[in-house]
Amino acid sequence: MDIKKVLNKATKEIDRSSNQLDLQNVKVAYLGKKGKITELLKSLKDLSLEEKQSTGAALNQLRSEVDNLIMSKFNQIKVEEINSKLRNESIDFSFPPPNSISPKVHPISKTFDEVITIFRSMGYSVAEGPDIETDYFNFSALNIPENHPAREMQDTFYIDDKDKDGKPYVLRTHTSPVQIRTLLNEKPPVKIIAPGRTYRCDSDSTHSPMFHQVEGLFINKNANMGDLKGTLIEFCKQFFNVQDLKVRFRPSYFPFTEPSAEMDIAYEIVNNKIKLGQGDRWLEILGCGMVNPIVLENCNVDTENFQGFAFGMGLDRITMLKYGLTDIRSFFSGNLNWIANNGFSIGDF
Amino acid sequence: MKFSYSWLCEHLETDKNAIEIGEVLTNIGLELDSLSDYSSYSKFIVATIKDFKKHPNADRLNICKVDDGTGTYQVICGANNVKKGLKGIFAKDGMYIPGTQIHLKKGKIRGEISEGMLLSERELNLSDDHDGIIELSEDFKNGTSAVEALKLDDPIFEIGVTPNRGDCLSIRGVARDLSAKGMGKLKPLKYEKLKKLEFESPISWSIKNDDNSCEYVVSRYFKDVNNTKSPEWLQKKLISLGLRPINALVDITNFITVDLGRPLHVFDADKVGKKLDMRLANANEKILALDNKDYILDGNTTVIADGNNVLAIAGIIGGDYSGCTEDTKNVFLEVAIFNPNSVAKTGRSLGINSDARYRFERGLDKNMVFEGLEYASYLINKICGGSVSKSIDAGILDINEHKIKYDFNYFNKVVGLDLEPQAQVKILKDLKFQINERSDSECDVLVPSWRNDVKNNIDIVEEIIRIYGYDNIKVTIPSSSGEEIYNIENSLVNKKFKTISKLKKTLVSNGISEVITFSFHSNRAQEILSGDVSLKISNAVSDDQSFMRNSMIFNHLESAELNLKKGIKNIKLFEIGPIYNSSQSQENILSLLISSQDDINSIYKSANFNFYSLTDLASKLISSLNFDIKQFNISRSTSNIYHPGQSAEVHMGKKLIARYGKVHPLIMEEFPKLKNTFAIDLFFENLPIESISRINSINISDSQFQFSEKDFSFIFEKEQNLYEVQRYVTGIDKNLIKNVEFFDLYESKDLGDSSKSVTFRVTIQSKEKTLEEKDLEQLHKNILEKVSYKFKAKIRT
Repeated sequence: MDIKKVLNKATKEIDRSSNQLDLQNVKVAYLGKKGKITELLKSLKDLSLEEKQSTGAALNQLRSEVDNLIMSKFNQIKVEEINSKLRNESIDFSFPPPNSISPKVHPISKTFDEVITIFRSMGYSVAEGPDIETDYFNFSALNIPENHPAREMQDTFYIDDKDKDGKPYVLRTHTSPVQIRTLLNEKPPVKIIAPGRTYRCDSDSTHSPMFHQVEGLFINKNANMGDLKGTLIEFCKQFFNVQDLKVRFRPSYFPFTEPSAEMDIAYEIVNNKIKLGQGDRWLEILGCGMVNPIVLENCNVDTENFQGFAFGMGLDRITMLKYGLTDIRSFFSGNLNWIANNGFSIGDF
Repeated sequence: MKFSYSWLCEHLETDKNAIEIGEVLTNIGLELDSLSDYSSYSKFIVATIKDFKKHPNADRLNICKVDDGTGTYQVICGANNVKKGLKGIFAKDGMYIPGTQIHLKKGKIRGEISEGMLLSERELNLSDDHDGIIELSEDFKNGTSAVEALKLDDPIFEIGVTPNRGDCLSIRGVARDLSAKGMGKLKPLKYEKLKKLEFESPISWSIKNDDNSCEYVVSRYFKDVNNTKSPEWLQKKLISLGLRPINALVDITNFITVDLGRPLHVFDADKVGKKLDMRLANANEKILALDNKDYILDGNTTVIADGNNVLAIAGIIGGDYSGCTEDTKNVFLEVAIFNPNSVAKTGRSLGINSDARYRFERGLDKNMVFEGLEYASYLINKICGGSVSKSIDAGILDINEHKIKYDFNYFNKVVGLDLEPQAQVKILKDLKFQINERSDSECDVLVPSWRNDVKNNIDIVEEIIRIYGYDNIKVTIPSSSGEEIYNIENSLVNKKFKTISKLKKTLVSNGISEVITFSFHSNRAQEILSGDVSLKISNAVSDDQSFMRNSMIFNHLESAELNLKKGIKNIKLFEIGPIYNSSQSQENILSLLISSQDDINSIYKSANFNFYSLTDLASKLISSLNFDIKQFNISRSTSNIYHPGQSAEVHMGKKLIARYGKVHPLIMEEFPKLKNTFAIDLFFENLPIESISRINSINISDSQFQFSEKDFSFIFEKEQNLYEVQRYVTGIDKNLIKNVEFFDLYESKDLGDSSKSVTFRVTIQSKEKTLEEKDLEQLHKNILEKVSYKFKAKIRT
């Protein structure tokens, strides 16, 4: 038996094997219990000691060579099989994803959040009041007498139901009634903001029948107009993110504050866009003033010992200014494209 | 209010220019809305119509030859006042016409060439007058600029006057306020009191049952007047404010209304009786007013009437019949004081906004009654001639000058600025407040008659700081204390806002966008959802917004429909906002809508969104707030928003925590384009968020020992609430049963109509050891027996 012939034959058969089963058969045929090489090894016992030594060594080498060849072929087949499996599992990576609207938070939510955060850092807590108000809380208690122009039908929404004074309920025209509700419930010092929905019968690109305001109220022993200016300037710097902010306060009139003021922010037009902070044009931002002692007395606050200020601003308006939005009606249209374009993703909220 | 610089200067001696004055107006609370600048009008020039003839192809048009001093142009003109020799204002080819907002272009009009345009006042934005082209005096040379010819070098101010400042609804009042700010000196009025009052007025007054509306009225009778066009100075003045000159008598009253802020009225004396009354109208009395409208009056309206007719609505508007025309020969002038409230009420109920009402309801300077009477008498006599009667009056004029005891320190306390009493007094004196009995700390202040709004100390503080300047208030920032911040962090409202933030984050992370919609919904929505009818908005803008919503479902379906129209097929949106159950019950809730309209069979088509996906979402939302939906009672929903068979409600005790389901087919009928639509309402305010840190969700303990799973199948009664089963099974051995998860539901005819087969998997794990087979078998047996006994369920094998 020529060892070399056996090796050649085995090598050929191993090479020819194309899968694990074929290879296993080859393995059995040579190395199995009745395999050729095993048989040859068994036949050694019939040889002389000398022959045993020389042939035995050669046979052992043959066995280990064939074993190695099978091992390496086995690995090769395995890689090929995996590759073939992967080839079969391949799918079209280039199939484009569906167009989807990216979900966002409404810009007003972002403003609510920022306003609350800024005022919280100044020590203001949040207070609330209902949208459907009594005539007394929305007007009379705020020193807006019966025949004040603000009561004209074109401004105020009324609902059919009547309050205990026999007057129709109103949709609050401002967040100021929360001042009254808070002062009737809490003893000063009081330091609150009250964001919420407000309503007026008005509709064009800058007016909507529903809009949002935030009210602020600070009553203690000595809060004065300097504090009022400082608080609001600080707020605007933080909210509009402009450190060098030119502002002006000018005298105005609200029945529930005295002295009253309106606050303007300077702006200029740069590349057809509004740039806030500097320039010689003015944008009205909010109304404010020292709480009228008549209002405090309506709430049973001791005006000898307590005073303070209040302010109110349009949240939609400051949102529009900050982000350059122009039509308030789109805020409330429920248009998801608009939200996707102008809203905020969770990371920015 | 509008006024010109030159008119202001008739009351104010000043060296300040218009821009300087404009700035100061804003600083003293008379906000400058606009300051007009007509310098660009110098391109429009004076030209003469040398000749004209009829347009051959158009009856109403003329072909004019117009000379502007440098050449002759052919102009096609449709004005009815075209005549030879007329001097007007000419605009050439290419010029921009401000009133029509167009650029002129040379071209043919009905076949005839036109090389320019002769302008009306409206085309120059000077007034609404479009009756004809402007006619100028013959003295102007052709080529003179329109700025010079029309005296447009006179800037026009427009200011916003706040409702408390009735005293500044006159040019004199504005001048007075400016002079207090040091912008000049107030000039005396330029008129002479008439000396010859020759006869008794044949018409007399009586104030009757007028509900105290008229305090005082004074009149004069003017005999044999010649009511013509007003002189040019008067017309110019009115035109400069955008008012149309009518005739001298009417123009004079308009002039005095603006100049002194003193509304007055002239009657044609031959059209009124000899005895005039101030009285309340009878119900259903009628008047045709000067605005050409008929008004039906009620018993609350004060009128001026003679024996036969209502002649005027007191303080608001005159009657057409008794008004003065160019034929008027005899005049009766009325100057009265009416109660601001009754004028406001009447004006509002009749919907009349007149210059007179505007001033009366803001309160007049009572001292101005006689000034107005004398000034008007002087002008009527001077312009229209004739003779003037003695005054005739009724009522008692109470000049209510009031005194205030003012504390100088109050200013410093409110404003936060130390201003010496001397400086305070100076400002008050500049404002014509009289200071009496002054001490170091306080003084008596006598308020001028025109300042009805100044009543107490805080009003005085406001006057002083207004003139001293808001810019001079020092800025201070009140600091916040640690205690304040701590209290805020722990307040309920703060927790609520945190809850809302968490919800928003969860929702957006689940692909749902936030919308904000109106708090209203339509008549139809109200009908279908049967809300409280007293929540109707009495003066709604439209039927679509006529009720306060008791659900957001309609708003959200409308939004879904809108988005579908824009091509968005998978609509997922939410809103956190109010719904209203009654006028005194408002709830802030989260409402979300998911509507999927997949119409193509896409690779991406995810598993159909169904009621169970909705349940999963509701559960996620609740667990994002650290509650477990399984803590609550869950039952079929009775809400008419949802499909009765595909909806559920979550309660904690009696409180509704959530409701969700497929939207009711009856509602969906209103939105036929939308398919497969689901909604959730989460009443997060009803969750006990104040104790949120304690009610943390069921504690899931982590054990290191091996767990085992076992599936159980039972046949239950069809209406069996599986949450109950789940809760019961979990409770069979709280130490070992870690999880009970339902994964199969089977309903079919072979089970019968009243049964369902349900499979759930129980995960069993001990915290102390690896359980042995016999422990497990015991527990399995236990579960089988207890469940089948408790729920009368059949074990399915």
